[in-house]
Amino acid sequence: MSSPTLLKPTLYRAQGSEDDPHHPALLGGACECGYVFFPLRSYGCERCGRVGLEPRALSGRGKLIASARVHLHGGKTRQAPFTVGSVTLDDGPIVRTLIAGDDVALPGDRMVTTLVPVTDAEGAERLDLRFTPQR
Amino acid sequence: MSKPLKDLRPVYVVGIGLHRYQFLSNTTYIDLGLTAVRAALADANIEWPTVESAYVGRALLPMACGRPILRHLGATGIPIVHVENASASGSAAFRHACIEVASGLTEVSLALGVDKPMMIARSEGLSGIGNLADDAIAPFTHFALLADQYASQYHVRHEDIALVAVKNHRNGSKNPFAQHQKERTLDEILGGKKIAGTLTSLQCTPVGEGAAAVIVASEGGIKRLGIDASRAVRVAASAGRSQKVNTDATRYDAVLTKETAEIAFREGGISPRELDIVELHDAFTVEEIEYVEAMGICGDGEAILRLKDGEFDIGGRCAVSPSGGLISMGHPIGPTGLGQIVEIARQLRGEAGPRQHPNTRTGLAHMVGVGAVCYVHILQK
Repeated sequence: MSSPTLLKPTLYRAQGSEDDPHHPALLGGACECGYVFFPLRSYGCERCGRVGLEPRALSGRGKLIASARVHLHGGKTRQAPFTVGSVTLDDGPIVRTLIAGDDVALPGDRMVTTLVPVTDAEGAERLDLRFTPQR
Repeated sequence: MSKPLKDLRPVYVVGIGLHRYQFLSNTTYIDLGLTAVRAALADANIEWPTVESAYVGRALLPMACGRPILRHLGATGIPIVHVENASASGSAAFRHACIEVASGLTEVSLALGVDKPMMIARSEGLSGIGNLADDAIAPFTHFALLADQYASQYHVRHEDIALVAVKNHRNGSKNPFAQHQKERTLDEILGGKKIAGTLTSLQCTPVGEGAAAVIVASEGGIKRLGIDASRAVRVAASAGRSQKVNTDATRYDAVLTKETAEIAFREGGISPRELDIVELHDAFTVEEIEYVEAMGICGDGEAILRLKDGEFDIGGRCAVSPSGGLISMGHPIGPTGLGQIVEIARQLRGEAGPRQHPNTRTGLAHMVGVGAVCYVHILQK
């Protein structure tokens, strides 16, 4: 049996980045003006308007700014409770992300990416990205 | 060379009207809208045919809800523009009605906000740009994260952030147009249903319906129609902005609020410390804390202390959300920004009854909307 595929392969990959080969990389982008962003988009640079943006694999490491345990959630694809967080990536962008399982993380904690098994809308097993405190 | 509103013809709020904000009911949007417009016409003591244009703010009702409402006042053939700007739809409708009067194109214009709870669809979801946790972060979760960030940055207790809701429910209990009209203790608020992070249901704006109408006029219009000039309220500044790229990427609403408010203060020639009342976008408790600091009403990290001192109470240094704000008065979306103008005009005229803030001369209305967009208006007597 083949290993599960990624749930959102346009946003992350199992392979790490050059700076951090051990944790899944986030698929961001960079502009000539120096602006680094996530996720990759090709429409134009939000800071300067240039087109021709370059893909850049961002390291799966960062620092937690805030977290919140969600007790009430309307979406059908996910059951509360679960925990979300804001993470400042070492490469610059801030991402809003799910925190793995019941991990407890506090503002200031170092965080890393990890892939966890999830079930997609069709009932198939896939891998999705989470952040977890670095041990 | 571009000009601010105040360098054009002076504009005044001359008529205000509301339909109570309430939970979803069988009341049609026609009834909601007509109630507010008829109240505003009666308040200005003018007849409908004197109104020369209408701006209708709505975010949830389907396209073209304006004429189905306004035709029942007598279809006068005036231009009707529908304005959608997320939570700031009513604020945007107000700004553009003011601009039309200030420019001299009309002497009397109407801004109407009306909405009913409906399925919310956002264009950002159709952008083709993915997101790690797009299905996990509802608006209340976004603000729960900001509350945690604020508490961590300034070492405040989450219970203290909930004090905003105590004040705003107390103000709303005195407002016959508020959706929630019940005073609440801190224990009741903290003990309510848990939503996300430390946010409980009474710290979040209720979903509801309603309508708000504001009639604006020039000095010429006021004279020609015999409107009571002593009750007219001057629109001293109007500013609208949208989000730029900033380093504080999760606190974009606060950053945008600071920038927009600074433009309005400069235009109005007043400082934030001169404000007597403020109506702001307190959809969630932490927002009021962030925005009073962003606007410079108090220093960074000081809002909880000032709140505890009673500075933001009715009768305090600057009454914040005297209507009850979005938390207590409600946030039916389209009407909300106009409901703020209604409250400020009432307070400036000294007609706010049991929730009157004494000696009110200057008031500020602030809304942010998904996008993000931001509007700030300053009104003076």
